[in-house]
Amino acid sequence: MKNLMGAELSESERSLVECYQGLVRVLNDGKDLAPFERRNALKAVAALWQVVNGLDLDPGNIYEIGA
Amino acid sequence: MKESPYWNPRHETMPRDQIEVLQVRKLKNLVAWTERQVPWHAARLKAAGVTAESIRSLKDLRRIPLMTRDEWMQAQLEKPPFGPLLAAPEDVAIRYHLTSGTTGRIPLQVLDSMKDWEWIAEMWCYGFWGFGVRPADIVFFAFSYGTFVGFWGAHYACEKIGCLVLPGGNMTTEARVKQILSMKATVVCSTPTYALRMAQEAKTMGVDLATSPVKRLILSGEPAGSIPATKRLIEEEWGAKAADTAGMTEVGTIMIFECETQPGGTHIIEDHYIEEVVDPATGEPVGYGELGERLITSFGRGMIPVLRYRTRDLVVRVPANTCRCGRTFDLYEGGIRGRVDDMKLVRGTNVYPRAVESIVREFKEIDEFRIHLYTADGRQDEIEVLVEIPGSEDANADRILAELGKSLSQAHEGLRFGVKKVENGSLPRFELKAKRLQDDRIVIGTAGERRATA
Repeated sequence: MKNLMGAELSESERSLVECYQGLVRVLNDGKDLAPFERRNALKAVAALWQVVNGLDLDPGNIYEIGA
Repeated sequence: MKESPYWNPRHETMPRDQIEVLQVRKLKNLVAWTERQVPWHAARLKAAGVTAESIRSLKDLRRIPLMTRDEWMQAQLEKPPFGPLLAAPEDVAIRYHLTSGTTGRIPLQVLDSMKDWEWIAEMWCYGFWGFGVRPADIVFFAFSYGTFVGFWGAHYACEKIGCLVLPGGNMTTEARVKQILSMKATVVCSTPTYALRMAQEAKTMGVDLATSPVKRLILSGEPAGSIPATKRLIEEEWGAKAADTAGMTEVGTIMIFECETQPGGTHIIEDHYIEEVVDPATGEPVGYGELGERLITSFGRGMIPVLRYRTRDLVVRVPANTCRCGRTFDLYEGGIRGRVDDMKLVRGTNVYPRAVESIVREFKEIDEFRIHLYTADGRQDEIEVLVEIPGSEDANADRILAELGKSLSQAHEGLRFGVKKVENGSLPRFELKAKRLQDDRIVIGTAGERRATA
């Protein structure tokens, strides 16, 4: 996986990106999440957004999922 | 793996041409987001003929209209409380903050979402990590934890780094000093003025801070953090290294920080901002090494896009290689030099409070001071500096006053300064932004305008 600057991401970096993408997907689709699941996942996604942004993958804004 | 001295090594050491590529890409995204989400901005961009697609290089930045604090205030007055500037619904916000109110008729009100708030802490992490703060540190915040954003983001940055955070709100200065000592704090965060205030208090308590575990001070909120004489005094009093940072509520966090190399300037966090320096009168760009006003474009807080905002801060930009820390981020030599509006004209001579402070701080015996402007005989500008010199014999105080008056005059084209000793403890002390200039003139600039209230 390359970022938007053309740099190859390491395996650990790719794993973090996949975590972020997975969380965003769950928060978009998971209608059955309990409050403790949704709100903790939102906190995690807000933190992981910083990683994805810092890795130059332009995560955009994620207000639509509440973060 | 060796620990990185950089918070984001990839970006902080990126070649300059790559930083520009990154900034152009982020600028395009920001303009696209703003056009789509904020009609107030969209109308201004459209009138200037700016679209996201038309952004091809940083030169295109200059086609984007400047944004001023007056416009922002006016927009919030017309559509309270936040104005037509939000790019996302208010209900995603988790934080509300205000500007400190040092400029402008009303404070600006801002909101942050969870992601934006995390980003705010992220910016402070560049500064704390860059100045050597690590998870083992114990960080004390001499901060009142109110609606002024101040050190809020720094607090969360230190939690993120893994430090033990001591939130020193709602405490007397004496109680703060005691807690710093009893909890063995290794890092202290405050305004430069308040760092000196705590040092004074420690002296009266019979405590020598230089023997305490404090190794670093992170300063913010006033330009004094980069005034060499003030910084030297703080470092001597605390026996610790001091780093300057500067931020603004309009972007929610810091945009510049001093690294551990202490190059006499502050690095610009260029992967999250575009900073321009322009002539405040003409708006034309000025080059490296020239004094000008900084404009900021922020890629961070998506909820309130900030494009080419006029900060009124005066800075001198120098190239990244001025510092040997390895970062490729340019610097502001001497941090924030002052405000465009700070300058006072006294009998034809420009007087900047920062310049006065830098001279006053050369005299270690002076505990506190105030710059006082007034009108003599109903027509002439006068300037005096009132100082507190505790524990000094009369003869010694007289010598200090004479030397200070001479130094001030020499630095200001021979302008005569009155210098007076006042009673110890009679001048105000400050926890947040210090206000040491009192302008009581009824006539401004001798031949100038008369105050309406006079």
